[in-house]
Amino acid sequence: MTRPKWADWADEVRALDDPRFAHGKPEALDDILVLDLSYNNYAGCYCSSLLAEFGAEVIRIEPPGGDFLRSCTPYGIYHKGEGLNYLTEGRNKLHVTVNLETVEGRDVLKDLASQADVLLETFKPGTLYKIGLGYEQLKEINPKLIFASITNYGQFGPLSKSNMPDYDNVAQARSGIQYGTGEMIPEGMTPENAPEWAVPTKAGPWSAWCVSGTFMAVGILAALHWRRYSGEGQALDVSSSEAYMRFDDYTHLWYQGGQNITERVAGLDNAIWLYTFAPTKNGGVFLGGLRLEMWQAFCDIMGKWDEWDVGSWKDLGPFMKMEVRLKYWPGIVEFTSQHTSEELIQMSLEYGKNGRLAPITPVVAPIVSPEVTMKDPNWNDRGIFMPVNDPVYGEIVVAQAQYKLTETPIRTKWVCRPIGHDNEFVYRKYLGIGPSGLGEMKAKGIV
Amino acid sequence: MGQETWKDYVKKKAGGPKPLKGIRVLEVCTLVFGPSGPSWLAEMGAESIKCEIPPLGDVERALSCAGFLFKEQSPLFMHDNVNKLYFGVDLHLPAAQELFLELARKADIIEDNLRPGVMERWNVGYRQVKNINPSIIYVEKNGFGQWGQYAEEGRPSNDGAAQAFSGFSWMSSFPDRPPVKQMIYACDMYGALLTEVAVLSALHYRERTGRGQYIEASQTETIIRTMSWIWPYQYLTGQGAHPAGNRDASICPADSFRTSDGALIALAAAIPEEFKGLCTAMGKPEMATDPRFKDHGVRLKEENATALLKIIAAWAKTKTLKEIESLAEKHHFAASHVMNAKDICENTHLKERGFMTQVDDALYGKYLDHEFPVMMSKTPPKKKWTARPVGFDNEYILKSILGKTEGDVKKLYECKAVGKWADRAGRRPPPGWDGKAGINTLM
Repeated sequence: MTRPKWADWADEVRALDDPRFAHGKPEALDDILVLDLSYNNYAGCYCSSLLAEFGAEVIRIEPPGGDFLRSCTPYGIYHKGEGLNYLTEGRNKLHVTVNLETVEGRDVLKDLASQADVLLETFKPGTLYKIGLGYEQLKEINPKLIFASITNYGQFGPLSKSNMPDYDNVAQARSGIQYGTGEMIPEGMTPENAPEWAVPTKAGPWSAWCVSGTFMAVGILAALHWRRYSGEGQALDVSSSEAYMRFDDYTHLWYQGGQNITERVAGLDNAIWLYTFAPTKNGGVFLGGLRLEMWQAFCDIMGKWDEWDVGSWKDLGPFMKMEVRLKYWPGIVEFTSQHTSEELIQMSLEYGKNGRLAPITPVVAPIVSPEVTMKDPNWNDRGIFMPVNDPVYGEIVVAQAQYKLTETPIRTKWVCRPIGHDNEFVYRKYLGIGPSGLGEMKAKGIV
Repeated sequence: MGQETWKDYVKKKAGGPKPLKGIRVLEVCTLVFGPSGPSWLAEMGAESIKCEIPPLGDVERALSCAGFLFKEQSPLFMHDNVNKLYFGVDLHLPAAQELFLELARKADIIEDNLRPGVMERWNVGYRQVKNINPSIIYVEKNGFGQWGQYAEEGRPSNDGAAQAFSGFSWMSSFPDRPPVKQMIYACDMYGALLTEVAVLSALHYRERTGRGQYIEASQTETIIRTMSWIWPYQYLTGQGAHPAGNRDASICPADSFRTSDGALIALAAAIPEEFKGLCTAMGKPEMATDPRFKDHGVRLKEENATALLKIIAAWAKTKTLKEIESLAEKHHFAASHVMNAKDICENTHLKERGFMTQVDDALYGKYLDHEFPVMMSKTPPKKKWTARPVGFDNEYILKSILGKTEGDVKKLYECKAVGKWADRAGRRPPPGWDGKAGINTLM
């Protein structure tokens, strides 16, 4: 393969940001101490992971029985007793236990909070306040503390007093995004007799939790920035369904301005064109072309230049109407179904070099299973699936190196830890409590 | 309950300090993946300058919702571009490149979502900018990153490609059904958001050490990061992961169900107290101690989960949406209507939280849109204004920020280094603009 003109840049930047060389380089956040009290809430764990990847010292604080999230695992499959989801977000964190139902346990928390930069929690609003560990109380002990709360409905507003716990699938339902995603009801059927798959469909991964956890990480970093100038901490409030809803570009503007409710259109797109999934001989592809020229290029690839008078098209305007798109849809499906996904990709790459409208060419990407993704040499080369040799859990793959930085790359030092694994270390380092003191606390059920 | 912290939050949030005050961001970004990041930074108080090639600017300006435009503007463009200054600067031209470098000298962060090598061809790449501003934080986001086979093949990319390539779509359908595309541009949005964690971490490091750096992110890798159990599962079992429709494969019970009044409700109740509560609500308290369901790990096994969800589905069909939601409230498990645009736009809670915030825009008028979703008690982020025409703030940027004279400005327009909007919808002001509204006063 001939390398592109900018190959020298590719080589230079790779030498600087290849994740294989991350260990030993400076860490952006290694001056920050985070207490992560999240409980049965992946948004919390995910948020603190993003900070821990940059070197923040993160202490997971669990009740003596451990975080219920550890039991949440696909089909009940555990690895060395650990749930696979918890395993992916234990990275770089110290794990301790504290019993917050005891007075001594709350004192331990207060002591840790007096030293921490960030406290992250996911309890129902008011829970920590009732036991003297709310923001209003802890800020008296540590005015610089950033107190970050992720919940389903937020810290204020009519639903903030709800008894309901936060779950990803319910947050996805409230975001409006599940409503407009999924297969359509087959012609002639109703919601009552339609197949079970013809319904609003949530995203497979824990998208609402990941998005809310990521927004909170951004908020925490912004709060840390402001604290530098003001010397003050503050409270942060994220509602999981709101955070995920923010990703919806247009639905609510379209409703206000056009009384439109965005409905399911399966692989097509409500708003834009060319932007669709299409079936192939061996699966499916994504077809993308947000400029007229790219849609024209795809029509050319399909051999429809003359038949559809493609050269005479002036802009994408006409193709904005769903009825018009549906007219061309059978022709597209007929073409794509005759080829494999790989053939279509090659056609697009070829067209980009030699086609009538080159270098303009449509985006063609194969819709693959994650099994295929994980075997793809490109992603492996980029380092995202590098196995980690974890001292407790053995060699294991968790997605990492999702961004590359030249000065302060992220890294995965360890994958996860069992409940209370770091009690001795943390109690000694942060609380000056030695082995016999810790032993007594364990006997009293404080730890 | 410690209500002082959030008292009158919505009333007070428009003014007050913003956390990223004093930070200047330059963006050379289009569509969703690029501009969303600088918008979030600008909602948190940064000054984000959107550089567009005049007169057409960002291609997203032309993207309607199946023909629907909001006062001639793309709703997508309005949502994705918030609180920014608009610079119409043609980076193909040396005079424009010089202007960009002058701005870069005063900037903290530069973000683009172009293909590798483009900024450098325009003499404004990282290697050039860091010579004049060594502490710059320079961020490039695209489909495949800056190195690797797919990057070097020059493949074009966007959100749909990343959904496809990552296995995300595959995992988001019902078993044995073709993959569906998300209603949202999930990989654009998520790639943009996750990248800002890297940007702000780099900013934190720079404040400690004075050192800037280069950051690259690809939208496929960023979405892969969210796919949690799938990767260790495949590595440890040697088997491929499979989709599960609306059922959460890792939490039981967690699924969507039809109610007696034809609604779809999402429900979850995994922790022992929650599960007991659900069983009681269903009138089957004995289920809580059923050996198939008692322990979460056992409940998650395929045969047990399927059995339990069938029981819940049958029960849900006998109850209305409201009944189930009240029972959830009473018995402390989670349940919610699968909401649509109407439900959301009419929702009181979202309005009282200010998440559905009223934007009072000088050009586009009053409408509701989503606030930045992190409420910050002392530095509330705020959406202040939305889209502007191409080059709308040229004079403000050239004179107030770059100190150019009237004569300089005239020359720059003449040689076409800078320019304003084309006379086309989405690029020009909305109909009825009086020629003055929204213009930022020179300082």
